Amino acid sequence: MADIRIEGLHRRFGAVEAVDDVSLHIRHGELFTLLGPSGCGKTTLLRMVAGFTDPDQGSIHVGDRRIDRLPPHRRDTGMVFQNYAIFPNLTVAGNVAYGLKARRVPPPEIARRVAAALGLVVLDDHGERWPHQLSGGQLQRVALARALVIEPEVLLLDEPLSNLDARLRVEMRGEIRRLQQSLGITAIYVTHDQEEALAISDRVAVMRAGRLEQVGTPTEIYHRPATPFAAQFVGTVNLLQGTVVAREGARVRLRIEDQLLLVPAMVAPGSGLSIALRPENLRLLTPDAPCPEGWGSLSARIERVEFLGPLTRLEIAAGRLTLHVATTETVDMVRQGDAVTLAYDPARITVFAPP
Amino acid sequence: MRALGVRSAFPFGVTLIAFILLALFLIYPLAQVLVASLLDPTGTTLTFANYGRVLGIAFYRAGLINSLTLGAGAAAISVVVGVPMAFCLARLPIVGRNWLLAIAALPLVLPSFVGAYAWVMLLGRSGIVTQALASVGLPSLSIYGMPGLTLVFALHSFPYVLLPTVAAFKAIDQSMEEASLNLGATRIATFWRVQLPIALPAVLAGALLVFVETIENFGVPFLLAEDRPILAVQAYKLFVGEVGANPASAGVLSMLLVFCTVAALLVQRRYLARRRFSTAARSQPPELVVGAAGRIGATVYCWGMVLLALVPFAVVVVISFMPFRGPVLHPGFTIDNFIVLIDRASRPLLNTLGLASAATLAATLVGLPIGYVLVRYRSALAGILDSLSMTPLAVAGTVLGIGFVLAFNAGWLVLTGGWLVLAIVYAVRKLPFNVRAASAILHQIEPSLEEASINLGVSPARTFVQLTLPLMIGGVVGGMVLTWVAIVSELSATIVLYSGPWATMTIVMFQALEGGSPGVASAAATVLIAVTLVPLLLVYRLLRRHELSLT
Repeated sequence: MADIRIEGLHRRFGAVEAVDDVSLHIRHGELFTLLGPSGCGKTTLLRMVAGFTDPDQGSIHVGDRRIDRLPPHRRDTGMVFQNYAIFPNLTVAGNVAYGLKARRVPPPEIARRVAAALGLVVLDDHGERWPHQLSGGQLQRVALARALVIEPEVLLLDEPLSNLDARLRVEMRGEIRRLQQSLGITAIYVTHDQEEALAISDRVAVMRAGRLEQVGTPTEIYHRPATPFAAQFVGTVNLLQGTVVAREGARVRLRIEDQLLLVPAMVAPGSGLSIALRPENLRLLTPDAPCPEGWGSLSARIERVEFLGPLTRLEIAAGRLTLHVATTETVDMVRQGDAVTLAYDPARITVFAPP
Repeated sequence: MRALGVRSAFPFGVTLIAFILLALFLIYPLAQVLVASLLDPTGTTLTFANYGRVLGIAFYRAGLINSLTLGAGAAAISVVVGVPMAFCLARLPIVGRNWLLAIAALPLVLPSFVGAYAWVMLLGRSGIVTQALASVGLPSLSIYGMPGLTLVFALHSFPYVLLPTVAAFKAIDQSMEEASLNLGATRIATFWRVQLPIALPAVLAGALLVFVETIENFGVPFLLAEDRPILAVQAYKLFVGEVGANPASAGVLSMLLVFCTVAALLVQRRYLARRRFSTAARSQPPELVVGAAGRIGATVYCWGMVLLALVPFAVVVVISFMPFRGPVLHPGFTIDNFIVLIDRASRPLLNTLGLASAATLAATLVGLPIGYVLVRYRSALAGILDSLSMTPLAVAGTVLGIGFVLAFNAGWLVLTGGWLVLAIVYAVRKLPFNVRAASAILHQIEPSLEEASINLGVSPARTFVQLTLPLMIGGVVGGMVLTWVAIVSELSATIVLYSGPWATMTIVMFQALEGGSPGVASAAATVLIAVTLVPLLLVYRLLRRHELSLT
């Protein structure tokens, strides 16, 4: 069982706490993503698992084996690097065979396993090619084959798709996910692209300034962000702050700018609250349509319309409050400057504990 | 605190060894020169009186001023010649540009005093051009004195400005000039206000190199300065002592020389190094459209300058196959000059080849690990190591030679009189180049390649042997050839340090010039040119591939 247990991991670079007391349990066969902006410590954390950065404190176990004291070449992790790191002096097959030779696998078996690995990444007849003859996407596949062929306990991917163009990125992430699932390998995936993280992960850890902000499945992270940072980093969100003016059962009326919103919270009037509301949870009401039972509504005016194909993004002003709205409905009728009614389901509002 | 692990033991060890070697073979000899400059005539007390005394003599004051004037003049001319040429080569449709770029660096590698000697053959008192001009009754141009010296230095070293400036112009993204033009500036205003300022750090860095190389040079002023004092020459003359050696005064002149070069290099490091504009051009900016006249003009100008710098060497080669009677050249073809040379100088030729090989090996063995540490282990320690390994750049060959004599002539470590002292001095002088070459090569090898290898199960030591080394080897060989070639034409430290059986080819040529045997001198010059050019031609492709430059 190749689950990964990280306990109390610290790493400091000069005055910067790059990784600050991180503990994680990554389950066997899981694709676990470290997501965060640059400098949040996600790559440092990955490199500590690989052994290229030494932790100051803490431990890393793979299964029952403690690996944080092992030199990197004995950790049995397969790593895919951001710039692929394909050896330019070896052919594609030579690159893939590299780790097998280091493990003194007999030549006939090397040949068999290299062919199988190249088949896995759909590069069957490319073994004799040189790296400079390959495209970026093909190099990426070679890097993947090279990491997988040694049948590592853990697959580490360090922003593997950031050097590819957008279309290829979408294609390759699907392929990485397919391979990871079919091989049942435990994988840690580092990225700053939230869409990528949501698309392929079993679970995601959002990192900020060396700390874990939230760990959860993509849907948990998206729909129930634990902190304003997590809400803002994943997807688009209306992040608002206001003061409670009245309590109504399990709800409060929250004053934000010059508007009042219904929010599911039980705090005394006068307290401050932060809330997050996804754009798709705000609905435009046609003039004659009634407001659904239990929903709140605001009178507003359309400031900007952005048609994106499958959905339309709107910027809508309710008094001094500006809100982002996303809708999949056809909004041919609405124009900039139109007066509209905005409705929202208070149950969809995320309320953050006061800091 | 982490314990000193294996990973920090390697850089620490390299730094320690480098420090010991440089302390012994650079700092200690230099300290001896400093002490010599400070000792009073009784040799017991340290005093600044020597500086006052030497600088009180108008002749030596003139030496200091002449050296600085020469350096500044050569640098200024190099900029005036090199910058327009660089712009032409970077942006205009020059005929045969790739060939031109390939040979533009040659003046830097060909021995400068051979070039100076060639100018004497052409424009000296009994030079070919001088006599031709005299025969038709025209006044001759003098190659002697300050203007001639400045020109010879500028022609020898303008590629120091040219090459980095070409690269700088090429690295400016096209959008910069498009933005400028779009905002209403003319092409000429764009050059002055956008392109030149962006390239300026590279230009000035090159100009400083010209300055340093010029004031350190020994052979050229020895041939062309006549009775005008030049620091590097006077330090040597005072030290060797035609009328009795004077180490105190020689020490003072040496230290003045060191101060000048150190000041120039500190400006380079502290000021210029930080002013590199990052101009990541996505692609090379396109050629500008000019008419036929512009194209021809630019081509003639660029080829003209490079050929003007190289023609003297061709002339020397031709002359070496012509008969001399006494000092006078006669038309005809002969190989007598070479027969005399081989008779007199087969041992020095072997000395040159052997010493250059030994010193190259030493400089590589020390420089390569230092370069590796500098690139792969960034730390405060690496910063110290970087400064330390660049120090030899600031020390003129003459000064280092004097230091070696003072330090290793007697006492606990005697080196003078043998071959080892020459090999060591060469290795020390070429260490900065080797370190930078190794760094340049390593910068082209992504660290993630090594990490990928380690991650796949190959230990760091074996990764270095089976992955890093093969990737580096071409560049290392190229760097070794460049080092070897530079050592072959070393004169300034050799002249102070050589002894009887260990004379080199440069010494043979030097003595032939002093002794009035122009035939032998030209043959020796031809041999030096051949020994320099042939290895370069052999590894030319290697140098291009690894982007190793002679600067």
